[in-house]
Amino acid sequence: MELSQFLQNVLNGLAIGSVYAIFALGYTLVFSILGIINFAHGAVFTLGAYFTYTLVVGQFENNGLLKGINLFPNGSPLSGNPAVFALATLIGAVVAGLVAVLIERLAFRPMRARGAEPLLALVSSLGVALVIVNLIQLLVGAEIYNFPSDAYGQVQPALSFHIGDRVVIVRTVQLIIFAVSLVMLAVLGYVIGRTKVGKALRAVAENPGTASLLGISVDRFILITFFLSGFLGGLAGTLVGTAFGVAGPYFGVTYGLKGLAVIVLGGLGSIPGAVVGGLVIGLAEAFVPAQYSAYKDAVAFALLFVILLVRPQGLLGRAQIQKV
Amino acid sequence: MSGFLEQYGFLIVTMVQAGLLGLSLYFPLQAGQLSLASPGFYALGGYVAAIMLTNPAFSGLRDTLGNGMFPLTWLVAALLCGLLGLFVGVPALRLRGIYLALATIAFVEILRVVSLNLAVTGGAIGIFGIPQAFGFQDRWQYLWLFGPLLLLTLLFARQLERSRVGRAFRAIREDELAADAMGVPPTRYKVLAFVIGAVLAGIVGAMSAPFLNTWNAKQGTFDASIAILAFVLIGGSRNIWGPVVGGALLTAIPEVLRFLADWRLIINGLVLVVASLYLPQGIVGALQGVRRPPPPRRPPSVPAVVEAPGGGA
Repeated sequence: MELSQFLQNVLNGLAIGSVYAIFALGYTLVFSILGIINFAHGAVFTLGAYFTYTLVVGQFENNGLLKGINLFPNGSPLSGNPAVFALATLIGAVVAGLVAVLIERLAFRPMRARGAEPLLALVSSLGVALVIVNLIQLLVGAEIYNFPSDAYGQVQPALSFHIGDRVVIVRTVQLIIFAVSLVMLAVLGYVIGRTKVGKALRAVAENPGTASLLGISVDRFILITFFLSGFLGGLAGTLVGTAFGVAGPYFGVTYGLKGLAVIVLGGLGSIPGAVVGGLVIGLAEAFVPAQYSAYKDAVAFALLFVILLVRPQGLLGRAQIQKV
Repeated sequence: MSGFLEQYGFLIVTMVQAGLLGLSLYFPLQAGQLSLASPGFYALGGYVAAIMLTNPAFSGLRDTLGNGMFPLTWLVAALLCGLLGLFVGVPALRLRGIYLALATIAFVEILRVVSLNLAVTGGAIGIFGIPQAFGFQDRWQYLWLFGPLLLLTLLFARQLERSRVGRAFRAIREDELAADAMGVPPTRYKVLAFVIGAVLAGIVGAMSAPFLNTWNAKQGTFDASIAILAFVLIGGSRNIWGPVVGGALLTAIPEVLRFLADWRLIINGLVLVVASLYLPQGIVGALQGVRRPPPPRRPPSVPAVVEAPGGGA
């Protein structure tokens, strides 16, 4: 492979891989505390993208109950200016986080209070996902909505540089996605590793019973976890939406499933694992040769099987000893 | 009577079919393993039947066997799905916890992507014009296939529960480590339970391909995995009637709710949430619970944590 092609693949892989990473972190946070997978995470991802789109554009012209309604008759105040677009993205992610909190209150907490089987929490979170996805479809239809091309301001759509006589092209959106993801990872790493909230979260993850004896309100920190998880999921949704368009109510499903491969690859419940897993899968997909590109969506799941065979605890997970 | 069957025959057969798919997930659950692979094996079984019944490569065999071709497709589907079940189950079932669920989600997705891209499975369009089994004229006649299969499966499940193997499944479900210590090899029995489910889903698929006339990659999706899981958990996962009741009910509900039009799927999702909250033992479990005292509750506010892989309490 030529150097220019190689670099191009690496750049593409890192950009999408970093989104996989922050999305999958949402799974990991909840898993490390509750030991269950929140299957509504993909739906929260979709919601984040739609929330931001609503703030920026404010109308859905194609279909659904909201058709013909224009939230901002004089144009959205949150459009055109990159700083304001960042604000819209932030609000979208916060609202997605609040939805995740709502999901925890409605679908997960009642289960815990009843001491129900963890499997049932899976089903109820899937039920929530079904409700969210179909509600979106009912409101705005199944069509693709594209963010305005000047969402990030008047920037060049792509940068290119030369290696020998070959050209490597980086879309500006990819650079922004990568940068935002890195910043998010750094912030999250700081919050979990260095702050009091993070310490409490880690304590709850280690042992909820002991944590509550030590005066940590377990339910409150579970809410915080869900908020962080939903925030990251919603942010990932907006980022992917700006790069590829908001591709209908079901566009979170593929990411939801790939996110599962990411966390298994990195190691269930491991935060650095989710990052490494996301980047590895992003890179692996970018290096799929063009003639096999139809199989690209299977790469993440093939890697999942490989890791189960050779290193079941995941790349960065710790092997645990069976105790009675 | 014939009018009734003509109008509702398709729905009734679909309800029985759903019950069977629910049972295919019930077997691994007997050994405490959550599998979401049923749609994958169902799709594979259907593709096997569709290819054997339409592909020119098999025309000689079809001419020789005549109607005998249909049972042959069931057999081939069962064998292939069983083998693939071993292949998928062994790596995932060495581990404890949620790994089988995740591996089976991956399996269903891989199978879907592959069948979308292969020429032999008809790509995105799928396979058309699959002949009706045994020259059936009406859809309800498929009850003659699915009905006996359901009965046989229920009998098999009942006998299995009373056998040494069934006791081993339950021992593993209750406490894998203790079962291991008592000389019950967990991996072997977990794989066995998974393969039984795979074979059943494959046969149901092979019977369904002629029933549906066409077969494509939409038969085996993550959505289908969820639907089947819901059949079992809402019907009741601790009793053989649970998946049957759940499958039949959840298949019928969308039909009954048809007047809700666009709100139908939303209501469906709400049903899942509410049922998992208020019917944790499933419908059949709740009916039994009327006679039995409820199980002791775990202390509130401590989250129920799934055991980490290889970890213990």
